Amino acid sequence: MTRGPRLPRLTGNGHLSRLLLPKRLHPVAERVKLKDEGHGIDLFGLDRAGITRGLAVSWWLYEHYFRVESHGIEHVPSDGAAVLAANHSGTLPLDAMMLAHDLMRNRQRPVRIAMDYFVPGLPWINLLFTRAGGFSGTRGNFHALLDAGELVLAFPEGTVGIGKPFSQRYQLQTWRQGHVELAIEHQVPVVPIAVIGAEEQWPQIARIDGLESLGIPYLPIPATPMPLPVKYHLYYGEPIDIPSMFDASQVHDAAAVAEGAEMVRNAVERLIEHGLSERQGVFS
Amino acid sequence: MSAVLVTGATQPLGRAVVEGLRDRGRRVLAVGIDPDGDFPGDVVYESVDLSRARSLKRLMFGPAVDLGVDTIVHLAFHRTPGHPRAHKLHVDATRLLLRMSERHPTIRRFVHRSTVEVYAARLDRPDVLREDNPLELSPKAPAWIRERVEADLTACTRMGMGDLDIAVLRCSEIFAPKMGSQLHDYLSSQLCFRPMGFDPILNLLTVEDAANAFVLAAESDATGVFNIPGKDTMPLIWLTRKWGRDSVGVPGPMLGPLYSARRWLRRTRFRYDLNAWRFHFNGVLDGTRAREELGYVPEHGIEWPRLDSGGAGD
Repeated sequence: MTRGPRLPRLTGNGHLSRLLLPKRLHPVAERVKLKDEGHGIDLFGLDRAGITRGLAVSWWLYEHYFRVESHGIEHVPSDGAAVLAANHSGTLPLDAMMLAHDLMRNRQRPVRIAMDYFVPGLPWINLLFTRAGGFSGTRGNFHALLDAGELVLAFPEGTVGIGKPFSQRYQLQTWRQGHVELAIEHQVPVVPIAVIGAEEQWPQIARIDGLESLGIPYLPIPATPMPLPVKYHLYYGEPIDIPSMFDASQVHDAAAVAEGAEMVRNAVERLIEHGLSERQGVFS
Repeated sequence: MSAVLVTGATQPLGRAVVEGLRDRGRRVLAVGIDPDGDFPGDVVYESVDLSRARSLKRLMFGPAVDLGVDTIVHLAFHRTPGHPRAHKLHVDATRLLLRMSERHPTIRRFVHRSTVEVYAARLDRPDVLREDNPLELSPKAPAWIRERVEADLTACTRMGMGDLDIAVLRCSEIFAPKMGSQLHDYLSSQLCFRPMGFDPILNLLTVEDAANAFVLAAESDATGVFNIPGKDTMPLIWLTRKWGRDSVGVPGPMLGPLYSARRWLRRTRFRYDLNAWRFHFNGVLDGTRAREELGYVPEHGIEWPRLDSGGAGD
């Protein structure tokens, strides 16, 4: 095919990410399982270059800034669908980033992170997230990913959790039930997770509400220009065996769903208590 | 032996469906607007303006009865958005065809061509679209899309109302020339503008796979709505590069005026207002139902041009 002169290529294809990622971590990016739809990308936009970019952006934070320690990752299934449910905090979703990095590195699985509806509408940010495994947290997307046997990470506290005041750190906010409803319907386990450290990483002193017209729910005003170098501990609890406790038909039973959600909430709370009792201090 | 009536038979998809039905030993009554269909001798061709009720009635209760037509595959589609005849063809002709089929002495099955565009464009829409996804009923939607939704719903509302078996096939964009493909028109320019900071995932269907889906639907007893995805799924930027084009990100609000001006100056058919949503957000059809009930699996990828320099996006 004859064609005119090409414009210089401005879109990335992973070369820069590979340069930024230490060589010892290249095998991690290559080993992560990806459901390729024929052109190296999956239906939601996850691709190898995005995985590499995600690792390149997060490895230094994971190893040196937040010095992440992972406990009990063997509880995350090595194959097949599961719902992961964690506490959420920190002004920016760095907890999601550290969890995704940990799971890719130590479980060779990409985690599909449910994002609020407004995120896919944000230029560039949507690409950074979706190419590394994020997805718009619609019910239909959850169904499609669980049907495809993926690991889906939900933060049942939602945006309320990430914006919680410092005085309410490690106190679980309104606990949504959708993740358990999906687990019952798809008959998959729920893995409870506690993220220790993130709740102190970036205290907010105020927030500006009423910014929906700009595509964001609010603008946080943090106390420091950068997140604090707190030490992260990620605790993965034993999977809650939803299929043995609930029949798929109970997805319409509000009491059963509420009971399941309470079990997950209690499990996350216990992990948080355990994690807080184990750690030496916020920065160590 | 029963026959199949195929509307839009002179368009590339229609021709491929006629060929597929012949391969399966079915007699075909091909219908098009062109005076001459140029089909093999065993295919009966009728030139009919489907937007005229009288012509349609003559067809349905004349040649269709004589040939013992038991199935209609309704593919007729106007390629030009905004054309005054488009609504008549998409909506009125579909309604008339359905009404006549319901009281026809030989017709038992109706297969309707619909499109991915009928699904609602809103932020809580999933990336992977199933058949039960809400439809685009917003009054703000372009008339071209509202027409497609109306035609789709016209067929859907008749399901189960009588003895007629109805199947609606919602197809991904058929990426080929002369198919009314907006993406094909978009890529007709060397320099393609897209919304800055977005690169949505698209799914493309070939004429061969689409034709196979309609042939399978014509032969099947399955009724209801079926999504028909294609084999190629990729981001918009990769598509432009694979097609040998350059893409440049432009702030979203500028794209409408930019493409309006280009359409006016260069007489292109691409309309940004029809594509604004899918140029921002993912939308890929889930073909599970078509696979399980029709046996449809996409097998043919797009034939990419051989580029003399540079590579594809991946």
